[in-house]
Amino acid sequence: MTVYETDLPGVGRKFEIDVDNGAQLVIVIHNTGKREVYRKPNPEADAEKVFEASNQLSQTIGSILEGAKFQPVEVDHEGTMLPGDTVLEWYTVTPDSELAGCSLGESAIREGSDVLVVAIQRGEEIITSPGPDTTVEPGDVLVVIGTQSQVLDFETLVADEVTEE
Amino acid sequence: MAGETALLELGLLFAAVGLVGALAARIDQSVIPFYILAGMVLNPFVAGRVAPISLETTPFVELGAEVGIVLLLLFLGLEFNLDRLLADRARISAAGAIDFAINFGVGLLLGYVLFRAVLPAFLIAGAVYISSSAIISKSLIDLGWIANDEASPILGTLVAEDLLIALYLVVASAMLAGGSDLAGTVQSMGVAVGFMLGLLVVVHYGTPVFEALLETNSREFLVLRALGLVVPIAGLGLLLGVSEAVAAFFVGMAVSATGHVSRLETLLEPVRDVFAAIFFFWIGLVTDPLLLGEVLGLIVLAVFLTTPTKLASGYLAGRIYGLNVRRSTRVALGMTTRGEFTLIIAALALSGAGGVLSTGLAETIYAFAVGYVLVMSVLGTTLMQYATPIENAVSRRFA
Repeated sequence: MTVYETDLPGVGRKFEIDVDNGAQLVIVIHNTGKREVYRKPNPEADAEKVFEASNQLSQTIGSILEGAKFQPVEVDHEGTMLPGDTVLEWYTVTPDSELAGCSLGESAIREGSDVLVVAIQRGEEIITSPGPDTTVEPGDVLVVIGTQSQVLDFETLVADEVTEE
Repeated sequence: MAGETALLELGLLFAAVGLVGALAARIDQSVIPFYILAGMVLNPFVAGRVAPISLETTPFVELGAEVGIVLLLLFLGLEFNLDRLLADRARISAAGAIDFAINFGVGLLLGYVLFRAVLPAFLIAGAVYISSSAIISKSLIDLGWIANDEASPILGTLVAEDLLIALYLVVASAMLAGGSDLAGTVQSMGVAVGFMLGLLVVVHYGTPVFEALLETNSREFLVLRALGLVVPIAGLGLLLGVSEAVAAFFVGMAVSATGHVSRLETLLEPVRDVFAAIFFFWIGLVTDPLLLGEVLGLIVLAVFLTTPTKLASGYLAGRIYGLNVRRSTRVALGMTTRGEFTLIIAALALSGAGGVLSTGLAETIYAFAVGYVLVMSVLGTTLMQYATPIENAVSRRFA
């Protein structure tokens, strides 16, 4: 992907990005902070304005497009940060997860990391304080608690096995 | 306090520009000719002849117009970036050189044939050469051309013009200030060049000082300090017989190297627009339409000569930037508008009246420039609006 940057003296800067099928996206950043987004169906065509936005709005849109905003993990971390270093985190168990069908005791959760599974949500039902013999089923949501680094360890441990929600 | 009607008169000025500005926006035209016409309609030559009241130029309006010129040139300096110019120097200088050679050349020829003297020819040449950065940039944005390839040659040529007009104003001011003999001109040129060199040193080494001077979180202080910086320096320039406009341009260049430039632009833009409106209104206020009638032939001649020359230089600029026939035609149409800088040259000519330039000649050149801008600003804006059918016709024929 190539991005062409052009100076527009007295106006601002222009960025041209090749997108699909020979179309181009043209973004003009005005010195005033205003952004305009244009689309060219092909490089020869006249640019058609898609939308314009203020500096602040553009930054919000930009971070949404970038994925920096509203990313589930981020939100979970933020929403479940407890006082101190403690984090509450939850993961959904997919049918092909290695965890599925194992009891908590059999699975490597306790050995691989020091997090505690405090609850399992199974459909409408909540299993609180599950014991070592509680079996994990596909579709379960495991609610785990631990320090930030412990939860991160758990995340790497189960990364290939469960899908984060 | 001011005279009993002074505030009311100033109020009428603002009411008039507010009203005609709305009208101009409604019909997608530039505000500049409308501000001029508003001033012209309300002045003693028109309203004074047919209506019980008319507006006369006051020292306040004159000073306001002067500040308008200073701020217009300050912005030119703020947005002028030497590094960017150098980065694209091959294309910009080629397009700029063709633009200058064709348009300034024709202006010089026209002026000399009509007036048989160097100074008036030089003034006419400047007036017809310089395109309007303000109107053209705004039209580019309004029409969405800014996102197209034609934006680069248009804006590039305008940058070259900005630099040349700064040099031009120095020479023109010196020629007007100098006596009728060569020695006087040389002496005032010396003062001008000395002042410019001084300013260049200030621009080069002064950036940290300007940086510190403008360092404040208060918007109020920033605006006041910027005005406190540019207006005195411009005033000093005027006092020394150097163009106040050029002094302001250099201050703008110096400030553009600081980190305050974008904030300053945002805050000063409305201030500039207020004073620029006063400037355009003042232009109309001191213009007798009858005088305009006397130079009508000259205006028509200039329009018929210099519209094609701008079209030609604009087209060539497009070709230099590697654009096809259609887009080069669009560049041509985009460059024809003349505006604020032609009027600054007009004001400069008027200020030289009675000195090197006879009053009659100064008034003729002034009236010519005003009438010429009235035609070219409307014509240029209109050509840009109706660019598509014109491009179609041209590309069918030549591409």
